[in-house]
Amino acid sequence: MSALELCNLSRQFDGLTAVDDVSFSVNPGKITGLIGPNGAGKTTVVNLISGFLLPTRGCIHLYGEDISRIEPAHVARKGIARTFQNIRLLKEASVLDNVVSGFHRHERSSWWSSLFGTPAARQETSEFREQAAELLSRFNMLQFANLPAGNLSYGHQRRVEMMRALATQPRLLLLDEPVAGMNDREADALGEIFKRLAKDGLAILLIEHNMRFVMSLCEELHVLDAGRLIASGEPYAVRAQAAVVAAYLGG
Amino acid sequence: MSNFILGHLSLFELVLVCSILGYSQYIVLRAGVFSMATAGFASIGAYTAALLSVRIDSPLWVGLLAAATIGALAGAILAWPLARLRGVFQAIATLAFVQIVISIGLYWESMTGGALGLNGIPKLVHFGHLLLVMSMVLYVLITLSRTGIGRAFDIIRQDETVAVSLGISVVKYQRLAFVLSGVLGGLGGGLMAYRNYSLVPEDFGFPLLISALSFVVLGGRIAVFGPLVGALILTLLPELARPLADYRLAVNGVLMLLAIIYWPYGVVDTLSLHWRQRRAVRTQVEARS
Amino acid sequence: MLAQQLLNGLVTGSTYALFALGFTLVFGVLHVLNLAHGAIFMAGAFAGLYAVTAAELPLYLAFLIAMLSGGLVSVAVDWLALRPLRQRGSSEFAAIISSLGIAQVLMSAGQAISQTQIMRFPFGTFPVVIYEFWGVRISLLQAAILGLSLLLAFTLLLFLFRTDFGRRVRAVAISERTSSLLGIRPNIVYFQTFFISGALAGAAGVIIGLAFNSVHFLMGEPFLLKAFVVIVLGGLGSIGGALIGGVMLGLIQTIAVSYLSSSLSDAIIYSLLFCILLIRPTGLFGKLHIETRVVRS
Ligand SMILES: Nc1ncnc2c1ncn2[C@@H]1O[C@H](COP(=O)(O)OP(=O)(O)OP(=O)(O)O)[C@@H](O)[C@H]1O
Ligand SMILES: [Mg+2]
Repeated sequence: MSALELCNLSRQFDGLTAVDDVSFSVNPGKITGLIGPNGAGKTTVVNLISGFLLPTRGCIHLYGEDISRIEPAHVARKGIARTFQNIRLLKEASVLDNVVSGFHRHERSSWWSSLFGTPAARQETSEFREQAAELLSRFNMLQFANLPAGNLSYGHQRRVEMMRALATQPRLLLLDEPVAGMNDREADALGEIFKRLAKDGLAILLIEHNMRFVMSLCEELHVLDAGRLIASGEPYAVRAQAAVVAAYLGG
Repeated sequence: MSNFILGHLSLFELVLVCSILGYSQYIVLRAGVFSMATAGFASIGAYTAALLSVRIDSPLWVGLLAAATIGALAGAILAWPLARLRGVFQAIATLAFVQIVISIGLYWESMTGGALGLNGIPKLVHFGHLLLVMSMVLYVLITLSRTGIGRAFDIIRQDETVAVSLGISVVKYQRLAFVLSGVLGGLGGGLMAYRNYSLVPEDFGFPLLISALSFVVLGGRIAVFGPLVGALILTLLPELARPLADYRLAVNGVLMLLAIIYWPYGVVDTLSLHWRQRRAVRTQVEARS
Repeated sequence: MLAQQLLNGLVTGSTYALFALGFTLVFGVLHVLNLAHGAIFMAGAFAGLYAVTAAELPLYLAFLIAMLSGGLVSVAVDWLALRPLRQRGSSEFAAIISSLGIAQVLMSAGQAISQTQIMRFPFGTFPVVIYEFWGVRISLLQAAILGLSLLLAFTLLLFLFRTDFGRRVRAVAISERTSSLLGIRPNIVYFQTFFISGALAGAAGVIIGLAFNSVHFLMGEPFLLKAFVVIVLGGLGSIGGALIGGVMLGLIQTIAVSYLSSSLSDAIIYSLLFCILLIRPTGLFGKLHIETRVVRS
């Protein structure tokens, strides 16, 4: 079963059709790419999937379940994690606390035990901190754990956001231009991590402008232009299509 | 130090009562709610506690428990609709709530004594009681900060969109914050009643609302000790510098203004942020060497 | 009897509207609740009163002085309390706090100047003339209040919708960034907005000081609270809405006081405010687009 299935998804903003009749699917264990020129509607697709926007028409299925009209927080609890095109971190909180915040979905202790500080609630907190530290060391970031996240460089902030998304242990990961503004070396290091995650069975939808990066990672590629899907399929075949070239060259 | 406290016992009692009200304001702000309902909760709690002891002679703890419970109830009722509103509208709606409570207090003479208020309330609360209540409040707030509720509040306050993307129900947690604010406000009101001998509805109007806000703004909105420090500064300052006492209103105003513009995190949070940064830089340097 | 009450309600309502005009203007342009508006209004009333009592100026001059002082105090409030936050891009919450802070400073100054006394305009400052039509009595003062409130509201509307200045204000209100790209200087527009808002508050101060025959340092607070009701009824940031909202509030209040009880009327008014916020947070007539809670739409 595919992890994510979009069927005839559309979204209008008074008059402007930002996403127009888009259908494709994302499979677990694979990185699926979504590319397109500026304003093509890529971020809108991510916002629709994660429930931040309601679709005008069409449906969204997560592992067979219709999630197209569910509250965004509820969508997140069903196992969809996302990053934001313009990084959104808690800038004053420490890097570690930022990552710990991703574990919210896995909290088991009740409000009462949190209020009165039962051993179980304390235990849970320290477990989350340990797991967050593990994640940090996997991303080679342990030495920044206590720094306010806002003090980090741009590339490092992107990594923190990624770790926070992974902390939710999602079934589907939506990445909105995760390597924008990074150099090739940094980007490739992240690319390796994405590949490993996919190999472990995660479904990843990757939105990116950097063609080289996309071609090296994705097993399937979809091209959006002015809200419509103009090409889909195996990356090299897609890149060869005239329509894609035209969209990118502004033809 | 302890001589100073003994000599000014009544002043320190005031500081403790004020900071409980400050905590009622603190907890909503920490969760990113623009509530100003603290004065209303305090009024409801104060009248509940006072009536219990005046009419049926109930003991201190029963009165306080009732005040906190009814405050929680008021918080829950307010929270139901208000958690769905956005910032400015939450502020206006809670201001309206405070006005509604005052005018009911004035109107319902058979119960509240109307404009003349309730008099002859026994002084049941002493410094020891206040210390005990304050330590319980601090205990709950500190554990809450270290566990899931505090984390959720902090995320919601800083970025609602992030909170939602992590699966946090903003409305649910903000409702919890309203209820906690009601508990603390009701409790603070009950303590006021058992310390002041008398109550009138206007005790719980704009001035009280502004004081509660200023404790939090000056002391700090994040660290648990913020409101306590804020209340300490704002209550003691006019006493230590006597000439300032006549201009209490202006001093309060200037401090609020300076704090929000130049020290937006308040005294305690600014210091703790500073300290955390230094520690982080130090550990980083150690890690490199 | 009813007609008389409706007329009284109309006059009270127009004082509410007059007070709320400047308050809602600032909200409309800067999206900020200026809680110092009541204190600015008090400052204007003080200036007008001292112009009449101490400087023995005629009322129309005192009125102009009150408007000028209100405008200047309002600009100072912006300069000291709100502009620093704007530069930092701070939240609406910070603006509420700092305007409350400066309001307290102004009120403390008022308290010191007036020595906590209630002050009055000398008898005869405004000619006491009463007309009667079909059994309804209206004093010249009431007629003047009605007339002036309408006049000021319509002048403001004309200003905003028929002049170049107004176009600039509306452009900044919609987007500060876009308008500065168009060559408008937002800081000057804010300065002008605060001046106009304060001048309106000063005018309201004198008129209300005359109408209730009392001027004191706490006079702003009840009007500020009523202004919340007015702008929620009419829609936050809407000038026409403030006019309609003020009049509605005046009528509702007069009817509540005469048929129920005066201490219950406040409870009724604020419960009404509460209900409207829950049902229609954009106000009964508000068209203003307001983003819902978390970005979902
Ligand atoms: N909330 C909104 N309201 C109105 N229009 C919107 C909204 N969000 C997006 N749009 C419009 O929808 C179109 C698609 O925007 P979107 O952000 O999805 O593009 P994108 O493919 O992510 O572009 P980029 O590569 O620049 O990130 C744009 O024309 C944009 O202006
Ligand atoms: Mg985008």
